[in-house]
Amino acid sequence: MPKEKDRTPETEGLRHESRVAGLREFRTPSLEAVERRRMQLWFLTTVTLVFVATGVLVLATWTSMGSVVLSAPAMRLGALAIVGVFCAYVIEKELRLWRVTRMLTDERVLIASLTNRLHEVSLLLETGRALSGLLDRSELLDTVLRSACELLDANGGSLMLVEGDELVTVSVRGREEALGARIRLGEGVAGHVALRREPILIEGHVDPTEFPGLADRRPYVESAMSLPLVHADEVVGVLNVNAAAGRAFTEYDLRAVAVFAEQCAAAIANATAFEAERRHVAELIELQRAEAG
Amino acid sequence: MSIRRPRVLIVEDDPDLLVVLRVNLTAVGLDPILAGDGRTAISRIQAERPDAVVLDVMLPGIDGWSVLEDLHTMGDPVPIVVCSAKKNAEDMARARALGASGYVVKPFDIDRLLDAVLEAVGVRDRRTDIAVEVGLDVGVELG
Repeated sequence: MPKEKDRTPETEGLRHESRVAGLREFRTPSLEAVERRRMQLWFLTTVTLVFVATGVLVLATWTSMGSVVLSAPAMRLGALAIVGVFCAYVIEKELRLWRVTRMLTDERVLIASLTNRLHEVSLLLETGRALSGLLDRSELLDTVLRSACELLDANGGSLMLVEGDELVTVSVRGREEALGARIRLGEGVAGHVALRREPILIEGHVDPTEFPGLADRRPYVESAMSLPLVHADEVVGVLNVNAAAGRAFTEYDLRAVAVFAEQCAAAIANATAFEAERRHVAELIELQRAEAG
Repeated sequence: MSIRRPRVLIVEDDPDLLVVLRVNLTAVGLDPILAGDGRTAISRIQAERPDAVVLDVMLPGIDGWSVLEDLHTMGDPVPIVVCSAKKNAEDMARARALGASGYVVKPFDIDRLLDAVLEAVGVRDRRTDIAVEVGLDVGVELG
């Protein structure tokens, strides 16, 4: 029995059409099963028509008895009725099979697009996990931005880190002159995102009145996303990605990259802590050497 | 005897949009069928002769523009409503030149898209309240 959660109007319709079309063992969608059923139907049709035609031919040519039998109008009408009813049956089944084929094709299209999406999410998660193993901070920052751009089909973006009450651009793709740029928390889109800790999906031209301090940069981006990098309740930075021409980011992209951003924030925090620890150990060794010397 | 509902092919690679459009087109009395890429779209148009097509231009493999060009070359008269993230005059002119009957900019208002599709299948009179001006509207009649 199908589970209650599987009973969508589409699957119910598909099951009903399949049962009527003669696919009684229907459990999982299969275009091949429909094709087999169609072949059976046409085989049965061919056999029946050949049988009826042969019977009529035999009776018509078979001595005087055949002609007597066939001369009866009721007999002729009966043969015609049998053929007519059978043809109606075949046409009805063929129409049902055609509907099932259509529904199964729709389901395949949906399954394929959902599979693609799952693949994208898996890639984002895998990349996020892989990033957590990187301890070289500058390599990590470049990898975070490059991975985000590649996985989201973006043509550029930037990674900004919090320093005091400012955001510093530490990695850039597409607008190299922005490297090292500083903005105050709350200023522009990235500053707003860092302050509010909320990701933003930008569609079309950004209204400067919504984001005070926004610099007028051309060419304008048609679609972009800006996400806060938060780790242990601390804003580490902001990840900005701009969509390639003709592509528009969706709410789904924003949700997917938010999971990625979470992992990136943890990786950046780890790498920063590791770097600080390494520096501290180096200082201690230096101090020990000075004392020994 | 049941009346045949106008069949509309939705060509879109985003599963969320596919489902949303399928539900909404069904709700307004249309019979939606689906395609997730350009190749499937062309084969379903040829095999199932839909009454209209909702075509996303950004598709994996063969993109929406190529589908539109192929159908234009084949002289297929099926009305096509193009969906694009771009709101510019060049793309609208290109869609018009390739025989599209409507152009809707993403993210779109579902009512606008439904209006464009209903008109494409001839269920609703031509809309007059949509200005053919880039930058002012999300749904534009091209025909």
